[in-house]
Amino acid sequence: MINNENTPGNEIQQKSVSEARNNYYRRIRKTKRVLTHIVLILVGVFAVFPIYYIVVNSLSPLASLASVSVTSMLPTITKLSFDNYFALFAYQNDSLLRFWFPNTLIYAGTATVLGLVLSITSGIGLARFNIPGKKAILYMLLILSTFPFVIMIIPYYDMFSSLHLTNTYWGLIITYSAGAVIFAAWLSKNYIDSIPKDFEEAAQIDGYSRTQALFRILIPMTKPVLILALLLSFLGPYTDYAYINIMVTKNSLWNLALGMYATTQISSHAINYGMFSAFAVIMGLPIFIIFLVFQKYLIAGFSITMYK
Amino acid sequence: MFRSAGNSNSIKKRYEWKGIIYILPVLAVLWFLDFYPLGIGIFSSLTNRSIAHLFYYQIVGLRNYVVIISSGTLLKILGQTAVWSGGSIVLMASMGFILALLMNQPGLRGRKIYRTAYLVPWAYPAFITILVWRGLLDYQLGFVNKFLALFGIHKIFWLGSPALAMFSMIMVNLWLSFPYYTIVYTASLQSVPNELYDAARMDGYGTFGVLGRITLPLLKRQIAFITVFGFIFTWNNFYIPYLLTNGGPGTSTYILVTYTYYEQQSLLQFGVASAYAIVSVLFLLVFVIVINKYTKMMSVLY
Repeated sequence: MINNENTPGNEIQQKSVSEARNNYYRRIRKTKRVLTHIVLILVGVFAVFPIYYIVVNSLSPLASLASVSVTSMLPTITKLSFDNYFALFAYQNDSLLRFWFPNTLIYAGTATVLGLVLSITSGIGLARFNIPGKKAILYMLLILSTFPFVIMIIPYYDMFSSLHLTNTYWGLIITYSAGAVIFAAWLSKNYIDSIPKDFEEAAQIDGYSRTQALFRILIPMTKPVLILALLLSFLGPYTDYAYINIMVTKNSLWNLALGMYATTQISSHAINYGMFSAFAVIMGLPIFIIFLVFQKYLIAGFSITMYK
Repeated sequence: MFRSAGNSNSIKKRYEWKGIIYILPVLAVLWFLDFYPLGIGIFSSLTNRSIAHLFYYQIVGLRNYVVIISSGTLLKILGQTAVWSGGSIVLMASMGFILALLMNQPGLRGRKIYRTAYLVPWAYPAFITILVWRGLLDYQLGFVNKFLALFGIHKIFWLGSPALAMFSMIMVNLWLSFPYYTIVYTASLQSVPNELYDAARMDGYGTFGVLGRITLPLLKRQIAFITVFGFIFTWNNFYIPYLLTNGGPGTSTYILVTYTYYEQQSLLQFGVASAYAIVSVLFLLVFVIVINKYTKMMSVLY
């Protein structure tokens, strides 16, 4: 390869040299592959372990955190028990099923729907219309999404108490949808930018009005970003603790996160870690499954909206 | 999919006022639920409002700012916030980037399994997993210390000593956030055309040569954008510091956002709390403007 002289002796020498070099590269490639897998598996264990831990804990007859041990982490079918779940459902006069769970669904569901409607229309407006001051609005959306929410708490409290909206469903829903709308509007604007206008223009030639074309043709095409925005904006209110903790004083208006925190405080160390584990599984698993089912859309939504 | 198709409307210079109808609801939300409350927040940072002066408060000018600066608390909390966000972002971004590079190797087996496994921390609600980590890292009874005891390692005060508590917080944040960075960096790596890699390989560059000559220069702005906004998000991340250590031991793990919450909800000093929040916002704004000047990262937005 290096030497171009074609003497017979050289040929043999070349062959063995290139073979040795091939072997060398093959070995390097193999080592690289093995190392890659070792790293990836270790990271995988790191990623999955806490969830595995909490699921196993919730299904074993645990008395407290003290009874968690290295051996109790190994799943044994014979010790399988649902006691923790029964204890949880009976906890505080069924508060979980009567209040916390339905409340959380109402807050998160309504806020998500409202926020999505607002953000998809504004995404269309920002992407498809040459609105005066568009750039300023985009910058503002981005910068506002970086503001800490704590600065809003006291002003919100003032505003909502003067409107008699504290301790009500609407007071919470309004703020939650406002929180969701900023990021979602930004995401959908970016996503719509990446869809060619040809589809709507073709529909307009077929006799649709512009508005009809936008709503009937464009919106169905934004499915990946809609799902992404839906999941992200659902998760905020679903796990909100800091804000609802201040706005709500009645136990009947609590959401899952508040209930969870109360349960953890009570069962933090000694008393009932199993019940906490069961709560963690019940509250987290539905979201977890939805995320895994829709992971294709999440990745597509992110990759198209972030890079152009 | 349909890249670079959206800029055609910037050629037209005529404004379409009709489009305002579409963004009117969002403008209303921005005004009533963002700017107006922010204005109140800025105003209240100039007053002596507290639980003692709940309704009858006076404007005191910049006194709150002078107090928090001269007492040294602001500087301490600002330092802790910087350690927290800086430490987190360096680890998260580099782990995400390395994983994205590893996962992006052609012909890697089991890619789907790895990707699903890496989604786990992101897919499970953070509020819950932070509380789970608090149990895992418990000094007396936590699983981590029990596991380390198998190797004869003495119990470690993960959440109970100032330096280690900050370290634990950063590690939990790493666990929570590396999936996101892996996903976004994978997406940006895949936006580089394969021909460039092939050409670089033909020219004899090895793995690191390709990385240094092709990948990094091409993705410079995207990486800057992701990293800077990741830094800002971490800066404002409330739940990890709040749920894991709640500022303790002492005040050693408070960051600006949790300290504002503490000042507001426990000390009930609303004016002072707002001053902390405003300082945080100003700091971030200056940070974004300065970084943007050097990297022009905002250009990924258009």
